[in-house]
Amino acid sequence: MKKILVCLKQVPHKDARLDVRSDGSWIQDDNIKFEINDYDTYALEEALRLKDQGEAEVVVATVGPERAAQALRTALGMGADRAIHIWDDALAETDGLGIAKALAAAAKDENFDIIFTGLMSDDANCAVTGPMLAELLGIPHITAVVKTEFKNGDVEVERELEGGALEVASLPQPCLLAVQTGINEVRYASLKGIMQAKKKPLDKKDLGELGLDAAAVAPKLTVEKIFVPPKGAGAEIIEGPADEVASKLVGKIKELGLF
Amino acid sequence: MRFSFTEDQLLLQTTVRDFLEGECPVERLRALWQTETGRSPELWSQLAEVGLLGLLTPEAQGGMGMNEIDLVLLLEETGRAALAEPVISSAAVGVPLLRELEENALGERWLPRVAAGEAVLAVGNGINPFLSDAHVADLLLLPHGDEIHALAPTAVTLERQASNDPSRRIFSVEWAPSSDTRVCGGEEGRTLLAAALDRGALACAAQALGVTQQLIDMAVKYATQRKQFGVPIGSFQAIKHMLADLKVKLEYARPVVYRAAHSVACEARCRATDVSMAKAAAGEAALMAARVALQVHGAIGYTWEQDLHVWMRRVWSLELAWGSGAWHRARVADAVLDGLTPAESFGYSALAA
Repeated sequence: MKKILVCLKQVPHKDARLDVRSDGSWIQDDNIKFEINDYDTYALEEALRLKDQGEAEVVVATVGPERAAQALRTALGMGADRAIHIWDDALAETDGLGIAKALAAAAKDENFDIIFTGLMSDDANCAVTGPMLAELLGIPHITAVVKTEFKNGDVEVERELEGGALEVASLPQPCLLAVQTGINEVRYASLKGIMQAKKKPLDKKDLGELGLDAAAVAPKLTVEKIFVPPKGAGAEIIEGPADEVASKLVGKIKELGLF
Repeated sequence: MRFSFTEDQLLLQTTVRDFLEGECPVERLRALWQTETGRSPELWSQLAEVGLLGLLTPEAQGGMGMNEIDLVLLLEETGRAALAEPVISSAAVGVPLLRELEENALGERWLPRVAAGEAVLAVGNGINPFLSDAHVADLLLLPHGDEIHALAPTAVTLERQASNDPSRRIFSVEWAPSSDTRVCGGEEGRTLLAAALDRGALACAAQALGVTQQLIDMAVKYATQRKQFGVPIGSFQAIKHMLADLKVKLEYARPVVYRAAHSVACEARCRATDVSMAKAAAGEAALMAARVALQVHGAIGYTWEQDLHVWMRRVWSLELAWGSGAWHRARVADAVLDGLTPAESFGYSALAA
């Protein structure tokens, strides 16, 4: 049976109002809604499709506070078989490397054949956790995956490059695939699946249980400040009759070399 | 005693909301208006896959065996999305009616099909003269005195009736009761028809809550974007007060609807009164929401292109379905004048005695 790990992150809901904390350390996240990171939903769907095709166990894992359990329950409701919820107060201020270390510690004895992650998270946009996790586990990885095909133990993937170009690559298993959005059509959790998810295992692990300590996940990267850039000056408002405004606007566009 | 929804119930609500936001955008509703049936078999199948249609169906027949307390938040979401598919007649009313028949051959046959999205039920009541969604129904359950009759679509003649809501498809039904179509009657028929009416009214009340919330959200969004005199119109007290009053109206209606869901699920003695209070309270909130949202939007709110009228029309449809607000207020008045004591109104007659 193939064993697949999907790493999920719970991020602020796309419709949540995001305000920066007064100390600029992060956004105010006390009373906002959260959801599974969009990229990670595609990663999960890719894993569930493999499960649909044959025998596979899909395990989902996240590093996050108590509220992150809901993301795991949703993933279980969509069809994942079991979940690992990693949290420890020492992880509250950690960085991508600390998250990757915690995930690697949870994954190292499980011998996963494939690990799926999203390409990046919607909130932090770092795109580092997947590759770091692969490096810590000593397995090959590839990012921006837009197509997967499993052949004779290898994984053939297409990855997205700049300008619409695609790159075809092949990786041996075990490996880690960081998935781009749009690779598939993500299924919805069903109500029955949500209720059945209550009976599926959800293991909670802290750093001690993973053989780590606070020093191991101490952040190497320090966020100095989060802020909304001030509105820039230099906007020019063209006034006058419509035909005159249109004429001036076309002249301006040509002058700036925009067309 | 717990007075809030469980984590599971809230997660089910989020799941249905996410599904409807993804699969039932307003563009899809408008496109369905242009079709002959106004209904989407594809969306119906998706609703079944998500599990909404079989929520009240027993597990043995492919459902989830849950109750109205579990369903009420989900119906609220269907209202928020202005979903016009016959969820109320099939999943909220038809399923429990079939489930509770003493002679259950009909239920054995139809309940799995409804849960799987393979069949639509249309259920009549003694108040509304026209039947919703009769044109897409695979089985029509119609009242005749204290009897319930089950009819195939081929056994009825339908005539479409006008409605100001393109999402609403209502029909006059010509049919003849016979011993072949009779499912039950007498005390069983009266009990099931009364329960069906209460379930239909409760479902409309729940949808009205969702419609109201959506109208508030649309009005607030517009009030923060539309500027007049250099500031958003939402900064004017006249706008703020209207929206605040509407929000109060909605939040006072919510617990009334949730209480009614509890009364239906528990078959409380005060069920009918609770349901009527819920239908009246949620309907008033929704009617007020339609007025206020239109006021906030001003002239643009009258245009076809602006989506406001999609939800306003749902308000007017829901107000009339399964007993109008006036009918339900009269039923509450009857209960009060019949001398229901405060203890009895909370279902404590046995304790009070």
